[in-house]
Amino acid sequence: MDLLDQFESAAREAAATVERIPRSPEAIAAAVARAAPNAQRIAVAELADLPSELFDDCRRLPGVFTGRTKKELSAAEVGITEAFAGVARTGSLCVAVDQADTGYASLLARTHIAVLAVEDIVERPADLFRPDRLNGKGLRRNYVFVTGPSATADMGPLVRGVHGPQRLHILILV
Amino acid sequence: MAASSIPSLDSPRAFANKSQKSVLVAAIRMALRVEGPAVRHNVQTLNRNRYIATAAIPDYEALKDRARAIKERALARQEELVATLEASVNRNGGHFFFARTAEDATRYAAEVCKRKGVRLVVKAKSMTSEEIGLNHVLEKIGIEVAESDLAEFILQVADEQPSHIVGPALHYSRERITELFKRKFETHLPLDTGEELTKFAREKLREKFLQADAGISGANFVAADSGTLVLVESEGNIRMTTLVPPLHIAITGVEKIVPSREDLGPFIELLAASGTGQPMTSYTSVITPPLRAARVITDGAEPEREFHLVIVDNGRSKMRQDPVLQEALYCIRCGACSNCCANFQAVGGHAFGGETYSGGIGGAWEAGTHDLARARFSDLCTGCSRCVPQCPVRIDIPWLNTVLRQRLSQHDSSAASRAMKQVLAGAPAADAGASLQKFFFGRYDIAGKWGSRLAWLANGMSRLSLTRSLLESFVGLDRRRDLPPFASPTLVAAARRRAKRNRPAQALAARHKAVLFADIFTNYGSPERGLATLRVLEAIGVDIVVSDALPDGRAALSQGMISTAAKQARRTAARLAQYLAEGRDIVVVEPSVLAMFRLDYRRLLEGDADRKLFESLRARSFDAAEYVWKCIQEDGLDAAAIFPAARSPRGARLFYHGHCQQKTIGSAAPTEALLRAAGFDVVTSQVECCGMAGSFGYKKEYYDLSLAVGRDLFGQVQLAEAQGERRVIVATGTSCQEQLHAGMQREIVHPMELLAEIAQPAGA
Repeated sequence: MDLLDQFESAAREAAATVERIPRSPEAIAAAVARAAPNAQRIAVAELADLPSELFDDCRRLPGVFTGRTKKELSAAEVGITEAFAGVARTGSLCVAVDQADTGYASLLARTHIAVLAVEDIVERPADLFRPDRLNGKGLRRNYVFVTGPSATADMGPLVRGVHGPQRLHILILV
Repeated sequence: MAASSIPSLDSPRAFANKSQKSVLVAAIRMALRVEGPAVRHNVQTLNRNRYIATAAIPDYEALKDRARAIKERALARQEELVATLEASVNRNGGHFFFARTAEDATRYAAEVCKRKGVRLVVKAKSMTSEEIGLNHVLEKIGIEVAESDLAEFILQVADEQPSHIVGPALHYSRERITELFKRKFETHLPLDTGEELTKFAREKLREKFLQADAGISGANFVAADSGTLVLVESEGNIRMTTLVPPLHIAITGVEKIVPSREDLGPFIELLAASGTGQPMTSYTSVITPPLRAARVITDGAEPEREFHLVIVDNGRSKMRQDPVLQEALYCIRCGACSNCCANFQAVGGHAFGGETYSGGIGGAWEAGTHDLARARFSDLCTGCSRCVPQCPVRIDIPWLNTVLRQRLSQHDSSAASRAMKQVLAGAPAADAGASLQKFFFGRYDIAGKWGSRLAWLANGMSRLSLTRSLLESFVGLDRRRDLPPFASPTLVAAARRRAKRNRPAQALAARHKAVLFADIFTNYGSPERGLATLRVLEAIGVDIVVSDALPDGRAALSQGMISTAAKQARRTAARLAQYLAEGRDIVVVEPSVLAMFRLDYRRLLEGDADRKLFESLRARSFDAAEYVWKCIQEDGLDAAAIFPAARSPRGARLFYHGHCQQKTIGSAAPTEALLRAAGFDVVTSQVECCGMAGSFGYKKEYYDLSLAVGRDLFGQVQLAEAQGERRVIVATGTSCQEQLHAGMQREIVHPMELLAEIAQPAGA
């Protein structure tokens, strides 16, 4: 199985939803509109690893807001961010937490939509610590492996959506 | 054991300090009654998931070796790593503090909070902050502390200590949480599902996250060369705690430091799989604080973010000096040892645990960070060894608990009773502290020797109620247990007679030569199993002799009588070396004895020559069925022709229960394979241990727990028989047989007896 297929099936196993889309601003905006059709409050994070124009169409969707206080972001229904890496074996995304608003938008919103470029998928978590993978992009100082939506079993049965998002939707740019 | 010393049943807090045995016994009773069902369900789920998750890691064993090696290296260079880490944190713009004691750590955290005018702290789950009692100190100076992990939130509301290293509140069922919240929050909101309860807590805590002046977290791993922290979680509260408030204080033990960032990889891959049984938990943060993100999202205030790393010693340097306890410092707190532990599955960490740490690894930690007496709950470790292959850093947890047992015995005993045991039974000074109960079980070889010589008397007496009441009062032997009768003649005597009678026409050159080790349990208790083994081995053409009856040390070791065990091990190993030199493999009937040769002798045989001997013993000793299966495969024999299952007078449908230590050393699977190859229809038990665990289930104070564990096994027999006729119950271990017999009131058969009945000599 290639890394993309493996990533997709592991991410689904971790209760994320996944779709493959073309690498264009229109395709991303269309996918967001499909995934969250009636969203009133959408926070679109800045891009640092992917070309900034990829989110241009997203930023024009109805419901997008630009306020960036904690309180405002805390009320977001949808947070859209990039992921600078994906891990095939575990279905994890790697999301930066120290650049601009990506850490907040991926955490405070009820739905997290993450955009991942297919060439950024590595085989296993330990690859993030190797200089010879991802051109060393994994060696950054602050990020989080995101594997499915937030969850707890502390209240008895498994519940998704605790302090972090209840839903994780992954758009893979192929 | 004054009645007044037994705490009331109001709160598990009352049972946290188990320095006295009476508290341990009361805690077991409470846990079985109140917390057992939720604990069992949650812990067994984690246990099942771990087996699945670790099996999916292709290089799981190599990964464990790497993780272990990193921890060993880190511990050896700890001072240097602390200095490197301090420099890294300073370079990153954070503040570093090394806390020698719990008080130093809490004082520092409190001072930082005071200086910054902190009124509200959100806390992420941290065992280290539980250990140092942080919340209490902060609350005393008027700071509100909000536990944000939902399990810790429950415990804070209930005022209880954690019952599990990973799932601190897994002793709570959903129903009990509903009841607790309704009572404590006096609310009429619907709280009858997991979703409703989670929503209730989330909304309360979201407010706190946004208002908090400081976030306090722990850290699972810390890289010295960069100051990078790894924090593993699923709820998102750790991400909140480390990202949202303007001040972040991370408090963690000094043993969490690894040399470099690159070393974090193997641990990230192992922790979730070993802990919750997921490939990864929802969030694994890799952060090098202070985080800069808040510069953008400032709410118009506090543009700077402040970070403090508090590294806690609190007894860990002393543990590091301790030749045995130092191994506990490798622990990555995954909880696998608790999840696979049959006793833990039945009662959880409020019985099998102390103030902070629980389960098999908990005793060493309580002894190391508090004091030895707080480790008394480690008596619930039966040495079944199921945790040994599950530990991601290969800690020999049963060994830690055996040593704690010996130290506690020394700590407890009076000089007079020590002297008596030294004079009467020649006990080595280090073991003379063992209680009368431990001494009785630990020297079963003495009981066995005299019991079988005077079997008519001993067996008669052991049935008298007066004897049983005396044994219960003085030795703590529960009178509800049947005592296994002493056999006469012993295996050694019967085999000698048998050899005289039918001097077998040995095959000219047998391909396999072996010695059947006459372990004390088989020799004095069940010689028929040994004799059956002889018949089976002869049927496949093995040239077999029987050894003298020698105590191997298992009984003594299980009671923490390490010096006695070592003495016996050296004698037995020397005798077995002679057989090995004759080219004989060693065949063992009792799995716990075989586990001595394959695992525990590593600890008991010292010196280079002895170590070499251990290696040969480990390579050339076999479980009886394992050996039969090996010979059959090597010789290309047809198991179904030699042992035709269809001819078994008992029927060909079996329920097979493998002994715990037998599973650990890998000799249970070959037994199953042999029985299947012979044509039996085999259903295998799915429990980790039967609950008898050698002497454990005989002890008065543990009888109820032992039976509670056994009920899982009995239930599996019933389930296997629910859709059809009865199955023959087959078990290898002596104590498993006793337990199954007590629970099912049926005859339990040893695999060798089963096969001996149908053996058709090969080539006949």
